[in-house]
Amino acid sequence: MRCKKLLKYAAGISAFVWVAVLFIFCEARAADIGNCLLCHKYPGLSRIDENGDLKLLFINESVFNNSVHANVKCEGCHPDIKKIPHENVRKVDCMLECHIIEPSSEKKFSHKDVETFLSRSVHSKIDKEGKPKKYPEDYPDCKDCHDNPLYRPLSFFKKVRPGISEIVLGRCRVCHKKDEFIFRFYNHITTRLHAIRSPKNIAEVCAKCHEDPALVARHGLSRKAVSSYAETFHGKAANYLSEGIPDCLNCHVNIGESVHQMLSHKNPESITFKDNKIKSCRMIDCHPHASAKLAKYDVHPEFDKEKSPMEYYFTAFFLILTGGTLLPLAGIMFLDLGRRLFSRKKEDKE
Amino acid sequence: MTAAEEALNAVHGGQTDVEGYFTYVSGVGYIPRDIYKYVKSNPFGDLPRYSVHIVIQHILIFTTFIALAATGIALHYSDLFWAPYVIRLFGGIDTSQLIHRSAAFVMIGASVYHILTIVGSTAQKILKKEFDIRRTQVPLPKDLFDLIHDIKYFLGLTPHRPKMEKFMYKQKIHYLAILWGSFVLISAGTALLFPEHIALLWPFDPAFLQDLARIMHADEAIMALIIIAFWHLSNVHFVPGRFPAQWTVFTGKITREHQLEEHFLEYLRNLSEIPEEREYMRSLLAELGFAEREGSLDETRP
Repeated sequence: MRCKKLLKYAAGISAFVWVAVLFIFCEARAADIGNCLLCHKYPGLSRIDENGDLKLLFINESVFNNSVHANVKCEGCHPDIKKIPHENVRKVDCMLECHIIEPSSEKKFSHKDVETFLSRSVHSKIDKEGKPKKYPEDYPDCKDCHDNPLYRPLSFFKKVRPGISEIVLGRCRVCHKKDEFIFRFYNHITTRLHAIRSPKNIAEVCAKCHEDPALVARHGLSRKAVSSYAETFHGKAANYLSEGIPDCLNCHVNIGESVHQMLSHKNPESITFKDNKIKSCRMIDCHPHASAKLAKYDVHPEFDKEKSPMEYYFTAFFLILTGGTLLPLAGIMFLDLGRRLFSRKKEDKE
Repeated sequence: MTAAEEALNAVHGGQTDVEGYFTYVSGVGYIPRDIYKYVKSNPFGDLPRYSVHIVIQHILIFTTFIALAATGIALHYSDLFWAPYVIRLFGGIDTSQLIHRSAAFVMIGASVYHILTIVGSTAQKILKKEFDIRRTQVPLPKDLFDLIHDIKYFLGLTPHRPKMEKFMYKQKIHYLAILWGSFVLISAGTALLFPEHIALLWPFDPAFLQDLARIMHADEAIMALIIIAFWHLSNVHFVPGRFPAQWTVFTGKITREHQLEEHFLEYLRNLSEIPEEREYMRSLLAELGFAEREGSLDETRP
């Protein structure tokens, strides 16, 4: 009898332990239904592909969970993986519908609209007549400009600063019970309230193509689109990660429109069209009192004799002035010093 | 006319050889050109050179110059390895911009203060009929001759330095450079700080003007920094005999040795204006065996 009772207790305890273990396990792997991290959690996981490039396959779970795609399960972007271990995977197609439901339309979420915006932009691979442009491989794909960015939450409690406001989260908890939801919602909203990248980072992304000498030569583009920005005080402040200054997108994207719909400066609808530039200068956070004259300033001079002769000769003038002043002055200074030291030596001897 | 004034006029009027080893000052004696090697000097200064206004202006200018140069050059060379450390020292890019602009306003204030001081004191001197252009920073033909003479001296072609005024050719070059530099930096800086308003001033469409302002501001600042670091500091503070600093910047006084060596003609004025200095020089000459005696101004050293 006693033995039976003990066995009953033991079975009860072990069942409890099993349930507890399973519960903990399920919680920890909630975002990884396919158990992909079974392998991809190892930092050294990598391979050399057919082109000889090293592919790092490690997924840092804590970093991923703080990224804007944290709610997207692995299968959302890699639907072709059906078994573990898997074979070679297809390239990710960002236009796929994923399992997330977009709350305003209650439809499955997709980046499909971006394709429409991009097709209207100067970066489209297809021209107005629907024909492929020359050198289509030069035009950007999603991943040429985008990675999986981390959340950049802002706190607006008392003053604006980077990070999460615990006080605000406390307010959310009054109505919303799931901390997971609150955390994601807060991060999503406050991250979208400002630029996800710093101006320096945006300039670097644009520079990947716009500072590629072969690419810009093929397309007859400005040779130093990004380095000429870096020459200005806007660019210099960007170098120090200042976010109060304009980046490429602020002046090249029509206000209120998708950044994917960037138009040519020859297009009269573009904000970079000569008569429209003033709109970007006049943005409330920039130069609200700017006149049309200000908008005519050349913001991408190349210090090239042919393209920007005034800047070129002006720089040359200051170089000559500096050298022409400094050299004679240095000459007098060294002659003076030489004589002083010579006289002192002579006096010491005497 | 005092004896010193007679001697001064003789030099400027070309009535005597400026190479003259002895300069005769009535009531004092024959002052040999190299007397500066024998005088006693207080390193903090013996003779008046700058008014308290000029001392304040210099302190304001050099402190703001350091802040402006440090924040401005670090911003201009933002891609160099040391620049971020300097910007961090000033509290980040936004704070250093604020410091740069605040320092610029203080420097402009000091420049206005300087102009008011110069205009006011010049007007006062003109009214009192004491104005003498030779004691000002205005370049005169004599400065060119002094420069040639000094180069000859540096090369060992002549035994003594020229007899120069309160402001010698080096200081006049430097002062003109400051006038030019201030004009360039203030005007270009204003164009950079208030682009909307400055753009309206141009009668034509200024595609390149903002860039010219940027080039002017940066290149002139670099030039000013080089000149201050290598020319001003070397010539004024680090020159043998004055190292580690010429304290005139704080005391407003110049050492007797320096005044005699580089501003001999101003020293002659000091002799007529400061009785104690006359007494000191007279006793020194007696001590050195150069007591008052009749003789030629051109007399060579025995």
